[in-house]
Amino acid sequence: MILYALQKITKVFGSRRILDIDFLEIEEGKIYALLGPNGAGKTTLLDVLGFLEPLTSGEIIFKNRTVKYSENHLQKLRRNVVMVNQKPILFSTSVFKNLDFGLKIRNIPAPKRRLIIEESLDLVGLRHMIQAPAHKLSGGETQRVVLARALALSPQVVLCDEPTASIDLENQVETVNLLKTINEEKNISIILASHDRSQALSIAHHTLFIDHGSISDASYENLFSAIIHNADDGGSTCTITPGIELTLSRQQKGKKRILLDPSKIELLDDGHPHSGPNILNGEILSLSKEKDNIRLMINIGIRLTVFLSSSQYRKKRPLVGDLVSIQIQPQAARIL
Amino acid sequence: MGFFLDSFISAFELIRSLDTELLLIVVVSLKVSGFSTLFAGVFGIPLGFLISFNEFRGKRLLITCLNTMLALPTVAIALFVYAFISRRAIFGSLDLLYTQKAIIIGQTFLIFPIIATFTISAISHIDQRYRKTALTLGANQKQVAFIVLREAKYGILAAIIASFGRVISEVGISMMLGGNAKGFTRTITTAMALEYDKGEFVLAVALGMVLIIISFAINLLFHLFQGRDSK
Repeated sequence: MILYALQKITKVFGSRRILDIDFLEIEEGKIYALLGPNGAGKTTLLDVLGFLEPLTSGEIIFKNRTVKYSENHLQKLRRNVVMVNQKPILFSTSVFKNLDFGLKIRNIPAPKRRLIIEESLDLVGLRHMIQAPAHKLSGGETQRVVLARALALSPQVVLCDEPTASIDLENQVETVNLLKTINEEKNISIILASHDRSQALSIAHHTLFIDHGSISDASYENLFSAIIHNADDGGSTCTITPGIELTLSRQQKGKKRILLDPSKIELLDDGHPHSGPNILNGEILSLSKEKDNIRLMINIGIRLTVFLSSSQYRKKRPLVGDLVSIQIQPQAARIL
Repeated sequence: MGFFLDSFISAFELIRSLDTELLLIVVVSLKVSGFSTLFAGVFGIPLGFLISFNEFRGKRLLITCLNTMLALPTVAIALFVYAFISRRAIFGSLDLLYTQKAIIIGQTFLIFPIIATFTISAISHIDQRYRKTALTLGANQKQVAFIVLREAKYGILAAIIASFGRVISEVGISMMLGGNAKGFTRTITTAMALEYDKGEFVLAVALGMVLIIISFAINLLFHLFQGRDSK
């Protein structure tokens, strides 16, 4: 079932168009990862999906009903959706009262509220802190209580804005596992905005890339600012940093953002340093498996991601620390 | 020097023996200051809350006007209130002049902007995430307002304490609107001014000591609330 359908939506602040999405459907019961650089519009999209921000234009259909922007209607809709912020905040009272707030305003009787609160805190492993003052919790504990507060309300959707950005690694793993559990066991849909591509991809059923407020079909990996000059041969030269220059097939000029498609960067065979146009040398920093691809992080002066298919990987067998040459074909570069 | 020392010793004795005249003056002072703080709070807190919680045209101008009112001298406020409650004025028939009610009205005007501006400041310093969190947990606008008010409670309490401190120590309004009538409108500050005029320092010093104790207690409370607010 389709949970959200967004049609020709825009959100404008002042003279800036923050969101501009032609069409987007989000399925119920799935985890969606929302990836994109800073300022891409991820948080604004989450605010729109959480019915916290009205649209400038366009339409949202939530569970087959068109969203009307009247306060009464929005308040009813908000009771289906809970948002967990990047820097979550707890009210200056006890953990119990933090969880109790949302239940109380839903007119749930006190004994039932207590049961729900205890169950939710059990799920995040913090039942022993039920009476603790919220402001004395650590960052990781705060994040878990915030998730428990969201779960206690049995929402249909949890919107998470960089939920692991401000916590340590141990709590990051715990938070990601919790999100997986609540999706699998309670069938709660999760929409997760993140910078951490590998973490997001490890739990998401679907990935959405957002850039300049629009849903993009390209990953934002290998996105750089570059200065482009016209060349004599009808193409152009693009300087990402001094020493990293690429030849492009089209004429362009000025400061632009350039995206290098990781799957179109070629790892050259023999292990010897190569030279030539669009050939760069660097060291492999990391290798990881990502769905059907092997992801290589190569330091060429900047960190560049390269995808190899499993068969390419088995053939070449690169290792971490290897010095390698890569060739960036002009068609791998896309100017935004 | 000996004269002042003798006055201090006699003043201590007045306080220790709970002198009736001294007690009556202190009670009148606490009563009028308490009521004026209460009324200023009843009007000032909601006004401050409405101003800070809503966006509207002229908001900055309104805040500027309230800030300007903070600097109004007590005698100017007393004259303004006098213009409304004197015998031939619009509310003259109510016989408010030279009563405790007149002092309360004047003092309410004095501290109402203090409470409103402190409330605006306390609420504007509250993290916007509280509002967003309450909304996402399903709260309506009233419940969101309650959450914001609860988070700002120490700042607002500090406003009330500071305002009480302001009125208990003011003299202009009490003198001009109260008339310094013994047993009725004689407050700590007006009694001290009178005793000073008479050259009788014992009661003046004793009242001064009581005022300092009250001020100290108020500031101690203020400090306590400010400390809790910043945690």
